[in-house]
Parts: sequence; C-alpha cells; structure tokens
Amino acid sequence: MNSNGTILRSTDLNKKYGELEVVKSVSLSIGKGEFVCLTGKSGSGKTTLLSLLSGLEQPTSGHVELDGKDICSATEDELALFRRENVGFIFQSFNLIPTLSAWENVALPLFPVKMKGHERKRRATELLERMDLGQRMDHLPSALSGGEKQRVAIARALVTHPKILFADEPTGNLDSATEDAIMEILNRLHTKEGLAVLMVTHEAELAKSADRVIRMHDGEVIS
Amino acid sequence: MNLRYLRNELYYQKRRTLAAVIGLSIGIALLVILNALSMAYRSAARVPLQEIGADVTVQRSGNVPKDLTGAVFPCSAVTIRNEEVKRIETLPGVRGVGKAVLLWVFDPNRAWIVLGVEEQNPVGPSILSNSVVQGRFLKEGKPEALVEVSYARQYGIKVGGTISVAKRDYPVVGLVDASRAAKIAVANVYLPLSEAQSLAASSPQVQAVSPFTPVDVNLLFIKADEGRIAELSSALRTMMGKDATIGTPESFLKLLGSLFALSDKFTLAASLIAILVAVLIAFKTMAGNIVEREREIGVLKAVGWNNRNVVTQILAESVVECFMAGILGLLIALVAAYGLSFLKIHIPIPWEMSPRPHFLPGGGDQLFNTLRLPVHVPWTLASFAVVLSVVVGGVTGALLGRNISRIKPSEVLRHE
Repeated sequence: MNSNGTILRSTDLNKKYGELEVVKSVSLSIGKGEFVCLTGKSGSGKTTLLSLLSGLEQPTSGHVELDGKDICSATEDELALFRRENVGFIFQSFNLIPTLSAWENVALPLFPVKMKGHERKRRATELLERMDLGQRMDHLPSALSGGEKQRVAIARALVTHPKILFADEPTGNLDSATEDAIMEILNRLHTKEGLAVLMVTHEAELAKSADRVIRMHDGEVIS
Repeated sequence: MNLRYLRNELYYQKRRTLAAVIGLSIGIALLVILNALSMAYRSAARVPLQEIGADVTVQRSGNVPKDLTGAVFPCSAVTIRNEEVKRIETLPGVRGVGKAVLLWVFDPNRAWIVLGVEEQNPVGPSILSNSVVQGRFLKEGKPEALVEVSYARQYGIKVGGTISVAKRDYPVVGLVDASRAAKIAVANVYLPLSEAQSLAASSPQVQAVSPFTPVDVNLLFIKADEGRIAELSSALRTMMGKDATIGTPESFLKLLGSLFALSDKFTLAASLIAILVAVLIAFKTMAGNIVEREREIGVLKAVGWNNRNVVTQILAESVVECFMAGILGLLIALVAAYGLSFLKIHIPIPWEMSPRPHFLPGGGDQLFNTLRLPVHVPWTLASFAVVLSVVVGGVTGALLGRNISRIKPSEVLRHE
C-alpha cells in the first residue's frame, strides 16, 4: 500500500443477485496513487466488484469507504455527486455519447455543474491536447479510431480531477499497438500525477505494470 | 439541462427526431383542420341569414289561399301580430328586429312576389340597398318600388317607369341585383313596408286565410347575441307555437346534412381521438427512443448526473420536439385550410324562407346559397395547438425521463 494513506477501503463486501453470490466477503484497500490490477477469469466477479467499489452499485452487505466517506449509506443523488467529484471511469467499449463531439464528450461530467461554457470547453480542450487529440476536438465519436475514442474517454474521466480512476478492461477492444499507448497513458497518470488506478483486466501481461495485483475467483479475492 | 447536448441529440438523431415530430404533427394537423372545418361550416351556415342582415328569421305557416287572385300570403308566411312583435323585441338576446311583409300578387297579366321592407332599419332586407345596380333604394314614406334586375329585364321594366301592383301604381326608383344579395325572402318587387301592409290588409284573400291589420307583418328578421341564438330560438318557438318556422344558423347547419356530419359532437369526438392518437404516437416514439438510449443514460449517471439532471434533459428534448411538431402540424393545417378554402358549398334555402309560387317558371327549383368554404385557422386555435403540443411534450418527457432516470448505471453498462 502507498504510504500516503488509503483512498479506497472495502470491508466484508458481499453482493447477491437472488440466490447467486457474485462477490463474497471482499475486504481490500487501495492506497492514494496506487495502481492496482484486478484480475480473474470471466465471471469471477471483477466488474461487479468494480461497480461496488466505485459506487455504481450498492452491496448486499459490507462497507465501502472512498476517501474516508462511507458510500454505502449515501443516497442516489449524493452518490452521483460523489462520483462526479471523486471518481473517473473508463469502459471497455468507451461509452462515448455518439451525438457529442470529442470535447463535448470530455465536458459531459461538467454539464450539470454551474460554470461558464467557455470554461468547460477550456478544461476539455486542455485534456484532449494532453491526449494528443488537439486536432480531433470537434469530431464525433464515429469519426474517431478505437484508440482515439479511448483517449477521449480517459480525458472525460479526468475532467473533474478525480482521486481514483476505475478502468474496466480499458484495452479490451483495442489492437496491441493502441493497447500499449493506452497503458502508457494510465501509467503516466499514476506515476507522474499520483492518481490511484484500479484496473480490471484478464490479461496477465497488462497486470505486470501494476503496483499490485488482486486475483479473484468465484467472487472471492484469492490473492 | 444542457442546450448543446439537446441540440446535438435532436440534430444528429434525425431519424428519431423526425419520427417523433412527424407522428405528433399529423395528430396536431388533424386536430386543427377538423376544428377549422367545423368552424368553417358553422360560419358558412350563418351566411344566408347574415346576407339578409339577421341571425334569426321568424315566420308562421298557415292555410293555402283558396283563391289565387290579387294579394295573397304564401302558406309558409301568415300573420305575425304586432303585439307578438313587441313581445319578441323584449326577449333576452334580441338586439334588433326587422319587419317585412311577403306577398304573392296575382294580377290579371302578371304574378309578382312582393316584399315590403323597412327602408331605414339596418336589420333585415334593407341591406339590399347595397345591391342597387341602377337608380336608388326606397326612401322612407314614399310609395315607390324597387324591381329585381333580371325580372325587370324579362318584362322590360325600367327605372323612371311605373308598375301596377294589385291595382296600385308605383314609380320604379331603382333596380336591385338579388343574385348579389340574400337568397332568403327574394322577391320581384320591393315596396315600403307600409305599402305592403296596406296591400295585405285590404286583400280579402289574405283576410280569409289569416286576419291582418296594417301594423302586422308576416316575416321577422332578428339580430341577436351570437351566444344566445339557441336560447332565443327556443323562446320564439314557445311563444309562436308549433306553426312557427324559426330560421337559425343551426337550422342551416342541419340542412347541410351528411356533408356536415361535422357537428359539435363529431368534431369533439374526432378532436379527442386526434389528440389521443397524437399523444400515443408521441409517447410511443419517444419511449422507443429512450429505450435505445438506456446505455447513454447509464453513462450520464456514471459520470455524475443525478436523476433530476437526467429528467430535465429528457424533458427539454421532449418539449422542443413536441413544440416543433406543433409548429409543423400547424403549418400542415394552414396549407390544408388554404386548399380547402377553394371548396364551394351549396347551402339549400328552405322553400319556406323564400317561397315562390310553384306554378311560375322556376318556382319549384331548389334555391342554393353557393359560397367558398370560409376555412381559416384562428390564432386562438393555432395557439391552442402549439400549447397542447408543448404540454404533451412536457408530460411525455416528464414521465419517460422519470422512468429512465431510475435505471442503475451498473446494469446497463455491465454488458459490453
């Protein structure tokens, strides 16, 4: 664990869908600025655990503390606000809004925030330039390559200055060259900017770049 | 609510937007045009009476004259006593009463349809003064005649000449083109009311059928408050008895028969169906669109939009779409109304309202008042249609937005 403290902690976390136990008694913690990989076979409960830890889903029992706040007792609106202010998401299939341009997609989390339109655009533009997408700002997602889409998604995840980044198979839909580029960005965010990253992957090779690897099997953390 | 997102969503999802807008606009257009048509027919039904400067006509049926010589009353218009006229003038909703006497005069060499009119009263047949094509209209207190222009042409009657009606001579002071005026109470000769009353009172044939004094009449034209015509018609029927013929815009509406199946009830029912269909189309299309966007809404919630943000966005999109549909529907209705305004309708004039001896040439022909259907979309109806569209958008958007905002982002984002 990073010596700077803990950003995320779960205690005896369980999730059931009917009789099916998907996550079983998971207790873990992630330090500030730590890069952790969550690996396991398909169906082992990785994505569900990620949803529980990020506040996208409520556990059946147990607790999750994100930056010292128990997110399991929060209302839906409080959770939405909490996610906006503390968490960034990157998904396997990018999940960009098809009708919004690259910069508008990046600014999407800021739309409900009271701020001037040009300030939103400035923040989005700045991030896209950092992702080497300065020339693609006004393009719709349909005009971007897979790697570009994922870089836009990363920029969107960073636009609210989150404390932790949750990435669910972020390179799953990309070729190996693009995969390397995305991993390089994630590593840079972790090493240079001190951002905590929890990445779900089933590729052992990708997990090597993490500070720590958590393995799951049948809903349980096995190492 | 983000305007940029709203604009992009409507612009880039053209198929979705067009489906919702066109679907609702058809319903709105249907609603507007049905109501405009109904109003047009209603307005057209007022024309025959308006042309004679009235909203209601009153007459009374009686017996057929036994002897067709001299001045007689048509069986559809017998005496209305002066006392009855005075009582009618005091009925609620009456704004003015015009009096007339309609006579058939059978002279040895010629038959006349004579209408005695009040020269100065703005209610009733004095409106014919606008249709004088030669000479002048009747002057008050002067025993003179006005002749219908085609009748004058047929019998070589000229302004400045003299005609003899029921053995009384009248100088012809003008010719009137009745085809440009009313189809009700059309006559060949127009005399001052007092002259016609005098002719009727002195005729044994009139007195034999229906006792008449020189202050009585046999035709009344009433100007009434538009909203009280039905009430007035009912009061007149009660007062005048079962032999009365009360002509109202409503009675002309009924004469339009199957063509005017668009009665109040039909229009109301059809409008309700149009609204219902419009709402269902809007709801179904938008619900389909929303379902397609479940994943998108999941993303919005994942990146920090709360339920209210989502509902507001969906509501705004829905209101704007429905507003556009309202405007488009209105435009469609305006174009359709313009097209329909070229339609001509023929309003049949009941024989009782313009009685002619059936044995005279053309006497048995049905008279029609032909006019272009006055279809137009009043601003009140247009505003109602647009407001209704916005309300439909608001309700639809609020319901769908509320429903979709409840989805859990983890559920819709789980399946990659």
